[in-house]
Amino acid sequence: MRLFSLPRLLALALVLLPVAAAAQAPEDDADEGIGLRFNGMGRTLLQQTDLGGGLADADTVTAESQTDGEFVLDLALNAQPNSDTEVQAVIRFRNEFGGFFGAGVNVEVRELWARGVVADVIRYRVGDMDQVLTPYTLYLEEEDGVVLEPEVFRPQKEVLYYEEFYTGRNTRRLQGANLGFGLEFEQGLEELDVDAFVARLRGTNFSDTPTRLISGGRAAVSTAPLTSYGSTINLGTNLAYTFDDLESGDANTGIRNTVLTLDYDIAILDRATYDLRLFGETGVSWLTLQLDDEDEGVTDDTPIEDNDTFVEIGLQSTYKPLALTFRGQFVNVGPDFFSAAAQSKRVDYSRSLGVYNRLGNDRLERLPTLFDLTRDPELYTFRISDELMAYDPRYSNVLPYGSATPNRRGARFGIDYAPAEGAIDASLDLALLTELRGQGTTELKDFLLLRASSDVDAGQLIGINRLFDITLGLQVEDTSRGGVDVEQVDLSSLLFEAGFAFEIYNRLDVLAGTKLRTADGREYIPVFENFNDVRDFPEPFDIDDQETLLGAGLRYRFRDDVYLTVQFQHLSYSNDATPAEGVTLPPEDYSFGQIFALYSMFF
Amino acid sequence: MPRTVSKGSASIGRTLRASRTWAGASLLLACALAFAACDHATDGIDGPFLVDRFGDFTLIEPLVASQATVDFAGGETVTFEATFNKQSTWTIVIVGQESGAVKRIEGFSREISDQNAVWDGGTTDLPFFRTEAVEATLLIDGAVLAESPPTAVEVTTPRVYPGNVVTGFEADDNANVVLGNFEFEFDLMATGPSMEIPAAEGELFYLLRSTGGPTVADPFFIGLTSIFPGAKGPTYFPVPTSIPEDLFFNAALYSFGTPNTIAVIQVGVDSNGNGVYNDGIDAVVSIIDQPVDWEGWRLFSIPFSDTIFTQEQLETIVAVRLLLISDNNGQPNPPLPVDYGVDFVTFTQGGPLEL
Repeated sequence: MRLFSLPRLLALALVLLPVAAAAQAPEDDADEGIGLRFNGMGRTLLQQTDLGGGLADADTVTAESQTDGEFVLDLALNAQPNSDTEVQAVIRFRNEFGGFFGAGVNVEVRELWARGVVADVIRYRVGDMDQVLTPYTLYLEEEDGVVLEPEVFRPQKEVLYYEEFYTGRNTRRLQGANLGFGLEFEQGLEELDVDAFVARLRGTNFSDTPTRLISGGRAAVSTAPLTSYGSTINLGTNLAYTFDDLESGDANTGIRNTVLTLDYDIAILDRATYDLRLFGETGVSWLTLQLDDEDEGVTDDTPIEDNDTFVEIGLQSTYKPLALTFRGQFVNVGPDFFSAAAQSKRVDYSRSLGVYNRLGNDRLERLPTLFDLTRDPELYTFRISDELMAYDPRYSNVLPYGSATPNRRGARFGIDYAPAEGAIDASLDLALLTELRGQGTTELKDFLLLRASSDVDAGQLIGINRLFDITLGLQVEDTSRGGVDVEQVDLSSLLFEAGFAFEIYNRLDVLAGTKLRTADGREYIPVFENFNDVRDFPEPFDIDDQETLLGAGLRYRFRDDVYLTVQFQHLSYSNDATPAEGVTLPPEDYSFGQIFALYSMFF
Repeated sequence: MPRTVSKGSASIGRTLRASRTWAGASLLLACALAFAACDHATDGIDGPFLVDRFGDFTLIEPLVASQATVDFAGGETVTFEATFNKQSTWTIVIVGQESGAVKRIEGFSREISDQNAVWDGGTTDLPFFRTEAVEATLLIDGAVLAESPPTAVEVTTPRVYPGNVVTGFEADDNANVVLGNFEFEFDLMATGPSMEIPAAEGELFYLLRSTGGPTVADPFFIGLTSIFPGAKGPTYFPVPTSIPEDLFFNAALYSFGTPNTIAVIQVGVDSNGNGVYNDGIDAVVSIIDQPVDWEGWRLFSIPFSDTIFTQEQLETIVAVRLLLISDNNGQPNPPLPVDYGVDFVTFTQGGPLEL
């Protein structure tokens, strides 16, 4: 592999530095008061990737290096004509690396919304909005390949998150309207909150694709302490209804997906030193494919109809002096439970990789790696899929669709250690699950998922007043199934993350980290049709691969939201699997080296 | 934007203030919902069976027949059974030990049973089965399965096919079959009821064969054999229906692979109403006019709606004529012999003769 030269690195940095001009406060902090404001985001990213490893030595087709980048300016025009109204438009100026004199320059409206309060009671928002209900109704689950992201890999992830409108609060970006209000009571009930929304997920093509919408909302009540033990009750009912408007276009079939749930968080005891809570959510999903007959209009005939339920119920207790929380849950999610807005993944594995999608003289498609999950915007989406999306069992096989993963039953346990002023945050989660209905056999899979993470403020521990943060993350998954030879599944995977960030000089940080993943065994990856029906298992998925992603670099923080980082990353990938008869292994034994410089500012 | 709240009515709060009761009810509700939501449809599996997709074939139960002897004429049937570990493409090949008749039953399943493998005595390839021993062999993906030995069945009476039989050319059935060797080009040593090859039905079939060779200068029309209804009734061939669309003419033709052979079969009706066939006076149609360019027996079934005959005419069928034609245009010089066989000439109602 070709190594990066220091002059090249410096040149990249010099290109970026002049952009580091007057940076201001981020968007959300700048919305106080009547008036007109400009804020936004600026970003410059330049990166070069080199191909190496054993595969590259024999590869006479693939280019040895790729360079790409972009210059982005999102200019937000925020106006607040009065204390009850606020509008904002974000206009994006983007120039791809290599585009000059207007070529490759895009100007587009990235975001547009208005919000306000009617009669000091009803709050509303129209246009772009971020919406979340519960993990079973409308929710953006965490992404694959991450437990606790090392700081060194976060800048690239932040780019992805920003581009895909991931807010960090598991919200989904929608375009529509939202209404809500809250009531406070003097006795008994303490608070009532109601929130409702409707949004368009896609437009019609005036032919076979109808307009798709989602609507729903949440009504939640919470009580004041009801007993001398401090008991309180929080109840919420949630609705997410995804549907096609068959009056739009010429389509004659459309989805109707309704998910109705009840969630609760009941404080049974809340004492000075400990508490005990009962929490959970239960609900039902209805899924139909509606027919729009030419003569009879929308009929009750439903060629596809799936209804199913789920339940999640748990007990949680916190020992307050030690900030220790123990949690135990029973989960039971039906095999036909379908919730489009909760089960859609962040990563779309059906997409082509943005960098070196094919390798080798045979031009075989590469499997996604941690390298891709860390930096490739082509893989990520914020869209809601109307079908269970493909998943990669190497990264997530136990709960590939998050809590709402269908066909799971079992127990989940967790321990959290999170003192308010402590230097260490740690958590440990264990899931022991099984299938409810077999896939391709009457035998059921057993799942084990262990996740542990620790975030250590080493600076506080050793008593220095500067950034010194160490993070550790671990994920272990095991999937097994008995039966005859071809039915047996035995897939184990491990993901380990370690990273540190150390401020060596005023606002100048050294970042370093690693991510290691291994997967070994056999699994069958289903291909879905008709929303959530398993159509086929194309071939056994035999894997014995490992990848190591190393990253190191410098970051200079001009301000809290303005920084420049220059990094080097290296990925090595190998696969020692013996493929089943007739199955071709994807490319193996290769490495990527990447150097990039990223300047990011929110103002 | 700050969250907005407004003050609700205190009376609502008081109404809902049965707090401990409510707490208990909430707990009960949570538990009840939890139990209620645990009921799922877990029968069956998701997707295709993996064993079907990727498993190696294993025979669980070999092929067996439901009975050792069968009386097809009495309405009995034979059911075959076998079980595999996976859905497979299977074929049961039943071969008559004397007739050489072949019946193939095919399917794609993991079980052979009365749902997909019932034999009613019919045949896939002519000839028909006789009173004889048959042997059934199991093939998986087209290959004989050695682990499942052939199973034997004794046919005590063959299947009785529906329809009105003109003639099967059996020994007692040829009284009104008249050879017309007008051109003297039939090989009289061969032409006539024959056992040269297994008949399509019964013991005998009718063979038409030319002499061929240099003794005939222009052998286009070799000759004909006429079948009259005398043995079948006083005047006309009985037919199951006279409606042209419902009445089918069926005949089994045998090809020896001899080139330049054309088989023509004609049906004549009593146009002048005198109760006998009068050549040149009664109307005749060639219901089969077929180059004989295959090998073995083949069944031909033609509806009379393809002919010009009316319903009234079909009630007066007085002759069936078998013609042997040599395709003179294709013959070398000197010309080669031509021949074909014919058997089991029948009329059926509603459709072709079902094998």
